[in-house]
Order: sequence, then C-alpha cells, then structure tokens
Amino acid sequence: MSVAGLGASRAGTLRRPSAGGPGTAGGSARPTKPRTGWKSLVALLVVAGITVWSAIAVGVDFGALIENANNASNTLIQLVQPDYSFFPQTVPALVETVQMAIIGTAVSVIIALPISFWASRATNPNSVALGIVRFVMNVVRSVPDLLYASLFVTVIGTGALSGVFALVLFNLGIMVKLISEALDGLDRGGQEASLATGATWFKANRQAMLPEVAPTYISQTIYVLELNIRASTVIGLVGAGGLGMLIDKVRTFYQYHYLSLIIFEILVIIVLLELLSSFARKRLIK
Amino acid sequence: MNDPHSTPETSGAGIRFEHVDVTYPNGYRGLKNVNLQIAPGEMVAVVGLSGAGKSTLVRTINGLVPITSGQITVGEFGLHGLRGARLRQLRSEVGMVFQSFNLAKRTTVLNNVLMGRLHHTSAWRTLLAAWKKDDVELAMQALERVEIVQKAYANASELSGGQQQRVAIARALAQKPKVILADEPTASLDPPTSHVVMRDLQRINTELGITVVVNLHFLDLARRYGQRLVGLRSGEIVYDGQGADADESVFESIYGRSLTAEDVLPETTAELS
Repeated sequence: MSVAGLGASRAGTLRRPSAGGPGTAGGSARPTKPRTGWKSLVALLVVAGITVWSAIAVGVDFGALIENANNASNTLIQLVQPDYSFFPQTVPALVETVQMAIIGTAVSVIIALPISFWASRATNPNSVALGIVRFVMNVVRSVPDLLYASLFVTVIGTGALSGVFALVLFNLGIMVKLISEALDGLDRGGQEASLATGATWFKANRQAMLPEVAPTYISQTIYVLELNIRASTVIGLVGAGGLGMLIDKVRTFYQYHYLSLIIFEILVIIVLLELLSSFARKRLIK
Repeated sequence: MNDPHSTPETSGAGIRFEHVDVTYPNGYRGLKNVNLQIAPGEMVAVVGLSGAGKSTLVRTINGLVPITSGQITVGEFGLHGLRGARLRQLRSEVGMVFQSFNLAKRTTVLNNVLMGRLHHTSAWRTLLAAWKKDDVELAMQALERVEIVQKAYANASELSGGQQQRVAIARALAQKPKVILADEPTASLDPPTSHVVMRDLQRINTELGITVVVNLHFLDLARRYGQRLVGLRSGEIVYDGQGADADESVFESIYGRSLTAEDVLPETTAELS
C-alpha cells in the first residue's frame, strides 16, 4: 500500500481484525401461525364470570325498576320541567362552584409541575427519589375526592375552603400522573444534547423538556378545570360549598323543579368549558 | 501538530485513547483495546459498519458512554471514572452534534443554541430564562457562523432537517468548545444537504482550530472531509491513515467486502438507505 502520510503515526496502517465479519442468519421457511385464539376465549369467560358474580352479589333486580316506575314517573316529570324563577337564588352557589374549581385548579397545577418532573423516569435519574415520590402520589391519588371533602369538612368546617383543599389534593394526584407520563413519552433528544453540553439534570429538564411538555400541561390544566366543575358539585353534597350544598338542600325538600334547573346549569357550564378547551387545544398542539 | 489557522482564544484539545475497552451492561463489547492519538486541531473521520463501535468511540470522548478499562485523555481531563462537576466541566468544552439533531422542537432556535451556555448559567437564571446578554450575543454569533441567524426566533420544528442540523452545530459552537464530536451528522439528511453540513464542520475545524471527530458511514464523505480516516470493525481499529490513501483493500478490511456503487453517496439525487 502506498503511503503519503504526514508522520509515522499518521501513516496508513492496516491492522488485522481478530474477529470475523457478521454471520448470516440461516433458514427461510415460513413459520406456522401461532395459536392464540383459546387465550382470548379464556379471558372472555373469566371477565363474563366476574361480571355475573358481581351482579348476583349486588342484587341487581330489573323488576324493581318497573315496580317503582309509578313513583319515578312523577319525579321524572318534575325533572323535565325546570323552574327558571329559581335561577337568581342559584347564582351565588353557581359562582362559588366556579370559583372553587378555578382556585383548586390553579393551586394544584402549580404544585404539580415540579412534582411531575420528580415523578418521571425520563427527568429524574435517581431511582430512589423516583420510587418515593411515586409511592406518595399513588397514595394521594387513591383517595376519592368525596373522602377528601368529608375529611376537610370535619377538620375545617363546612364551606368553600374545605372544598378547595379537597380539590387541590384530588387534582394533584391526577395532574402528576398525567404530566409525568407525558414526560415519559417525550423525545429526549434535546435533554441528551443539554446533558452533553455539561448541564445538570435540572437545567437540561428546564431547557429541553419543559418546552416540549408545555402544550400537554396547559391542555391537561383545562381538563382538570372541567373535572373540577363536576367534582365541586359532588363534594358540595358533604358540605364543601358550591352548588352541591344547594343540591343537597332542594333534594331534601323534594324540590325537583329546582334540582333540574341546577343540573341544567351544570350542563351549560360543562359544555361552555368543553368548547373553550377544544379551542385552546387546537391552538396549542399544532 | 499545530493548525496554522487556529486563533488564540479557541484552540483545539488533543485526544488520546490508551487501551480503551467498553463493555455494555448486557455484555456486548463496544470497543476492544483501542489506541488512538488525535492531535489538537485535527479533523478525523471514523468509518465502519453499523455496530462496529463508531458511536461508542465518539460517545466515550464526552463520557456519554463510560469506559470499562483503559484511559481517554481529552485536553487536561482523564475520562476514566470522571463524574459529577468535573465531568460536566469536560462536557462544557466538548460540543456534540447528533444524527437526529436532538433539538427541543417546541421552542425557538435561539433557546436551542443557548443550551450550549447552560454550564455557565446559574440554576435560577436557567429557571427564569434570564440569559446574560453576552450569552445571547454568543448564541447569535454562532448562528451567524452557520448562516441561519435569520431563523433565531422561529420554532425549531419549522426548520428543515439541514437547517436543524446547522442549529445543532451552532449550539455546539456556543459552548466555545475545544473539541466537536459529530455522531453520523449526515445520516438523516439528503445528499446535497450532507455536503453543506460537512463543509460547515470543516470550516469550523480550519477557521477556529477546533478538533473535530466525525462518524460517517459513507466512505466518500469521510475521504473528502476527513484529513485522517479511522476504520473500525467489531470494536477494533482496522485502519488509521490519510483519507486519500484508503484504497480498495482498506475498504475490504473495514466493511468485509469490496466497494460497490451503493456505498458511495450520490452527489445529487437518490435517497439514503
């Protein structure tokens, strides 16, 4: 081999490889189709069995539905005739519900953002810290909103403040779950590049991962707000403020004309919010 | 060897591999007893088949892949067992360009280039995106050098592949590096754009005197842009010499067969396989 190198170390030297080239995989026969049909059948039977067993245990009785139809029809007739004159009296509770949802959402999503980065395998290289925060968040998420509300009503007393606290904890569990999973699924190229420039994990996450997760974060914030309008009516039933408390009152006095108006109002708010969120999502995720 | 074009402020660092072995956790041996000396300001092309260890070799230089035994010296740093703040300091002096560009797509080009300044920016400034004026100026200059400064405030996702790779090069430049590593920088690009990116890297090497190590799987690109060619096969160096000297027998030793038309990057049309 002719060499026109610049120095001894630069001269073209052909070194002997010790290992051979890549081997070729043999065999070109078509494989037989694996038989998996029986697995689906077993799974279906198990699910059907569990369902029947549950129905028997709970005592599902469709006959009762027909027997009580006379009682129900009276109530149903009242429910389809909302009493609009009751509207002014619902306004304060309505406003309170929306306010509770907004405050609960705002506080929880702010707290949820750093915790989400802590709870994602993609953004937290420390598996011990990851395990701890995930365990705590699983506990927080496993408690139902109604239970949180009952708890705070007992500790703080009835009213909107208990409702807000309950919503914050309820949202926190949801937001951290959704955002940390969104982080797990992100393209980590920018993060790798940041780490390769000598950045710490914190800086790499801030600079490369936060912009990538931001649209999802905002979209889920709107989703949580929507969820909170609904949740705040339910938790009101145990005395945590808002429309729920009003529902509890009119229900006690069998004022179904009023109840149907409240349900109608909730429907309107949810639909409005749905329109807003789909509009925002379209703008955010291109 | 000194590069005549090197400027006093940014000069390259030398790289030395001594008996370097890399064994991955699954037992796969990425590199076997690699010895290699790269002079400050040199431009080296590393070629070989997929899985030959090209990526491993390049990624050991900034510690993205830890070495199992042996030693790599980059400037004043010894890579073996380098961790924490010292490792980050080394990385701040070594820029890297990736095959898939590795930009944060949903933020601006400028923010991507500023990633190169993260090491020198405090945590709270990073958190609030309160960049120092000097760093922004440096990022803009880096974008000017790769001729894409007019896109500074565009989202990275709006750019073409070639433009994204030039932003990635600007990000590496913003580090004021002594070494730039490029891991298959043209593998996701079309042929004409590949030449633009390779010329950018070559210009950076000659004008700034930065040491450049670039992985390529096209031999003709490597011959054309690498002063020096290093051939890898199964984790071992099988060729080390001038690109111009790499003939048919050299090709066979690296790829295990002779050169065909498919191995050459066409100048204009045809797709990359």
